[in-house]
Amino acid sequence: MNKIKQNLPAFPILGYLLLLVGIPLLLVVILSFLSRDSLGNIIFEFTPDNYRKMLDPVYLRVFLNSFSLALFTGVITLLVGYPVAYFTAGLDNKRRSLVILLIMMPFWISSLLRTYGWIILLGKEGLINNILMFFKIIDQPLNMMYKFGTVLTGTAYMLVPFMIISIYNSVDKLDRSLLEASYDLGGGKWKTFFNITLPLTIPGIARGFTLVFIPALGLYYISDLLGGGNTMFLGNLINNMATRGRNRPLASAFAVVMILLVILVLFIYGRVTKSSKESLYQ
Amino acid sequence: MNEQLLSIININKYFGKSHILKDVTLDIKDGEFITLLGPSGCGKTTILRCIAGLESIDSGDILLYGESIKDLAPNKRNVNTVFQNYALFPHLNVYDNIAYGPRIKKSMGEGEIKKSVAEMLELVQMQGYEKRMTHQLSGGQRQRIAIARALINKPDILLLDEPLGALDLKLRKYMQTELAHLQKQAETTFIYVTHDQEEALNMSDRIVVMNEGVVQQVGTPGDIYNNSKNLFVAGFIGDRNIKEVKVLQKKGDFCSVKLGNSVIYIKPDRSLVDHDKCSEMETAVLAVHMDKMKISHEEVPNSLYGQITFVHYAGSQIKTEVDVDGELLTVIEYQNDYGSYSIGDKVYVSCEETGALLLPKEDTTGRGQDE
Repeated sequence: MNKIKQNLPAFPILGYLLLLVGIPLLLVVILSFLSRDSLGNIIFEFTPDNYRKMLDPVYLRVFLNSFSLALFTGVITLLVGYPVAYFTAGLDNKRRSLVILLIMMPFWISSLLRTYGWIILLGKEGLINNILMFFKIIDQPLNMMYKFGTVLTGTAYMLVPFMIISIYNSVDKLDRSLLEASYDLGGGKWKTFFNITLPLTIPGIARGFTLVFIPALGLYYISDLLGGGNTMFLGNLINNMATRGRNRPLASAFAVVMILLVILVLFIYGRVTKSSKESLYQ
Repeated sequence: MNEQLLSIININKYFGKSHILKDVTLDIKDGEFITLLGPSGCGKTTILRCIAGLESIDSGDILLYGESIKDLAPNKRNVNTVFQNYALFPHLNVYDNIAYGPRIKKSMGEGEIKKSVAEMLELVQMQGYEKRMTHQLSGGQRQRIAIARALINKPDILLLDEPLGALDLKLRKYMQTELAHLQKQAETTFIYVTHDQEEALNMSDRIVVMNEGVVQQVGTPGDIYNNSKNLFVAGFIGDRNIKEVKVLQKKGDFCSVKLGNSVIYIKPDRSLVDHDKCSEMETAVLAVHMDKMKISHEEVPNSLYGQITFVHYAGSQIKTEVDVDGELLTVIEYQNDYGSYSIGDKVYVSCEETGALLLPKEDTTGRGQDE
């Protein structure tokens, strides 16, 4: 009884969550077990067909595409983000705030607009091609658009701030006296980094990786704009099926599987951070 | 044993505009337990960090075995530090923490490391704790591991930065004795930093008293305690009555001074240079250890007459405050006749002839008297 009283303030939030997340989610799950007629109307009859259809190699290929996009995005943002986070954490307070401001600034502009920005940069008539042509480094414009790499670049660009901030938080919390202890015991800068800093910032890396991996799995407008539909990803597929394809049950089934994938990633994240006992380190 | 090990020559250190170390010069001999003692912010930890190489020095030099180490990175200096918070690596267990130094320097093979770690654990009496994670250890245990982790590298000097600060009183006292024994056993030079005079007096071969970046006095615990060289040291070490007096007459070893309206004779230590700076008919400072004074009801020669204003009972000692012509003197007696004095009693206060210091009046920097 007391417990209920203590948690009373949480009930409105629970209500919201139930209304705005729980019920729609339940509808999606129900929808994924239904089918449709040729006009796209839902037929209310239970069938696991949608899930069976997903085993089609064409669809498996889409899963693979999305998975590798998310994985590569994670790796690239990690490689780019770690040094930035590391050096930011080492700056004095004033410069540090400035750098963090600069990292966060792109969020003030619509991500759709920023994705268009990449077309201006990478397009056939784009900035990079123009400059290279002007200096006669190339004589034919490079074809940089509508490739897997283009989508990867755009996705990594969009998500790298999450990685930087996560790692920054970990590096910032790192007890500097541990680094001094390592120097004192005979470790150079690199050895200290690999033996002390890196292992102790794994929680930040795991957090960043999760924050990047999950959206990268589902973002569809970046691959729409920069990929031109040449490579199909989960997000595009669901979007296409639900709208133009008029197959909401199949789209729902894909969505459910994607949610399961995300839960799996979160589970792994939980295991990684639990085994490294972040709270005790930092 | 008494070979010159470390020479700190005229070092200066600035943090921005503040002058942290002012022309500090120190000689440290091989095998010594030397303590840097002073109030917080006096620069003692900075000296330690300069020796370790964690801070650079702005001028002067530091010589180890006669060779300058001031430009060497911390990992190239054969000195090791026990940090104030111990700085044990939280992702490594006790064994890996201790093995960190030899492994990272590749100075031993794994077999030799295993043997050395066992030796170190025996030295600090922590056998059987190899597999523990550091967060499973108590404060005292962490400290031992930090010492083992440093000593396994066989440093020329072990630097200890207030390592007992985080422990409770009882453990602190116990560890003081432990550390002193450990130092002799390990045959390693210890440079120990603390603000606790009791710790310093208990453990050290020599003490360096510092204030505001300046070395005030260097000497054995006995020297520092009895023959404080200046007003700061006199106020910082031990509990003393420090009173302004007028020097009336200096005659041979003796000296008569006027405190309030009373006159007493004292026999200050002639070995102290500063004593000679006090001239007749000028104001000077009299510093007497509270426990070198006595109270009695009967008149005794060479005493001050006053009234007891307060009696503190503090276990083995009794602290009595006596008002002598408006000057408050505190007397500490280790006595069994507690109760023989009470507030309001008129008493005579005498002091041991040799227990008093006469120091020139000067601008006292620091917080001497309050400590």
